[in-house]
Amino acid sequence: MSRARVVKPETLLPEAPEAIFLFRSCTGSLEYPGTENAIKEVMERLGVQVVMDPDQTCCSGYLLTCSAYLPPLSLAVTARNLALVERKNLDTYVFCNGCYGYNRELAHLLKSNPAYMDMANGLIEQWGYRYEGKTRIFHVQELYYRLRERIAEKVVRPLTGLRVGVHYGCHYVAQQYDILADGGYPTFHEEIIELLGGTPVFYRERQLCCGYSVGRGFTHKEDLVQPHLQRKFQSAQEEGVELMTTVCPGCNTALDREQPNLAARDMGEFNIPVIDLGQLIGLALGVPLKKLGFAANTIKLDPMLRKLGLEETS
Amino acid sequence: MSREREKDLSGDFYAEVDAYQLVPNLSECLACGKCTGGCPVAALTPSYNPRQIIRDVATGNTDKLLESEEIWRCFWCAGCYMGCPVDIHFPLLMMELRYRAVARNRGLKYILPFKKFALRARQDGLTFVPSPKSRERIMELRRDMGVTPWPEISDKAKEEYAALFDLSGTTAWLEAIEMASAEPVRSTYSEGRITGE
Repeated sequence: MSRARVVKPETLLPEAPEAIFLFRSCTGSLEYPGTENAIKEVMERLGVQVVMDPDQTCCSGYLLTCSAYLPPLSLAVTARNLALVERKNLDTYVFCNGCYGYNRELAHLLKSNPAYMDMANGLIEQWGYRYEGKTRIFHVQELYYRLRERIAEKVVRPLTGLRVGVHYGCHYVAQQYDILADGGYPTFHEEIIELLGGTPVFYRERQLCCGYSVGRGFTHKEDLVQPHLQRKFQSAQEEGVELMTTVCPGCNTALDREQPNLAARDMGEFNIPVIDLGQLIGLALGVPLKKLGFAANTIKLDPMLRKLGLEETS
Repeated sequence: MSREREKDLSGDFYAEVDAYQLVPNLSECLACGKCTGGCPVAALTPSYNPRQIIRDVATGNTDKLLESEEIWRCFWCAGCYMGCPVDIHFPLLMMELRYRAVARNRGLKYILPFKKFALRARQDGLTFVPSPKSRERIMELRRDMGVTPWPEISDKAKEEYAALFDLSGTTAWLEAIEMASAEPVRSTYSEGRITGE
């Protein structure tokens, strides 16, 4: 570690941006489409313009790390997507820890290795693209934290009494440099929960990986992954967690969709709903429930919403 | 698995594994073991040992690694990379080891679930595209939220994405992976012990 890894949000983003390029996530727009929509709604309320582009493809990192894509493919795809953003003169904001880690890692490889940069630009120049490495890559959670005071001012549905356990997700905190918190003991999500009026709960295994990244959730589901999830949820249940938040649609899929499978294998009945942090902020900021897309969740949110005096129809 | 012998070590293995030159600093490993102590996979599977894997790559203990089940266990949380005092990118090393294993037709059962997945992503420009039945459910959900039923991804994006598969050699590489040519892994983990063939 040759330089400081953790930076303050004001160092990372000295000026709050007026417009951001929002990088589409496959899972965040298909498996849990409420995630992408919540971010748009929240950003509108925070006065940040969201720009997207239908020419952007998947980040292509996931299947690279499953060893199903070859590195030249993912390097070229990254260069192509980021070249699109550079044309708009914007910084890239992702809302999936996977897209964040892969884009940052692949952009770093391109920028630090001229042979890769030439190879990637050589493949994409036929369509008029050129990646120069100018656009910076952020996760939207960094913007939430940078704008935390603006968020706190706009809370109209305080999450009073709601016990929220957060899940940071490995691919943010495992980044080496220029992140808001490392894997030591991050607390910035908990600070956001407090600003929303909720009660952050520090459960023992809050930093345990969801276990699903890189396909081990497909190939080693029962022997390797489910015991992790059991440990995680058991500790959350012991601390009375009523809702879990993520900042990665991939983690969200693992944590939400696997709970019935754990129950079916007698590994515990947990019934803890799992949503994106952006959806929770949207809830507190008064975004209509319908626009938050909770219908996509396996573990239903109704008991939690009733506790807050809300109904799914409102 | 038979006992390791020095004559089986290959000095060139590291260069072979790191064909993409993604992990140039392996020789800086201090053998401190932080990668292993913090590894959630090692916590449940004691035979999985990142520090040992680094040592085996560095010393050229080729067969042991490429023909074992162990290199397929990592799920890339990258906690080892985060904790490494000399910034060794262990997850990328793991990825490169897997390419070498596939080149020997080992561990194909861990790649094949992704072959169809990858070839489908090639058409869609998106990775996690669900089955036709779930597609209906998603489109209904998105309509209910008042957004377009399908993420706005252009034909141009899909065509260029698919073309990059071909240009980068990924299409040909994926199509060549067939279960019929699979060689078995030689050591597997069971009940906390490595069991022989």
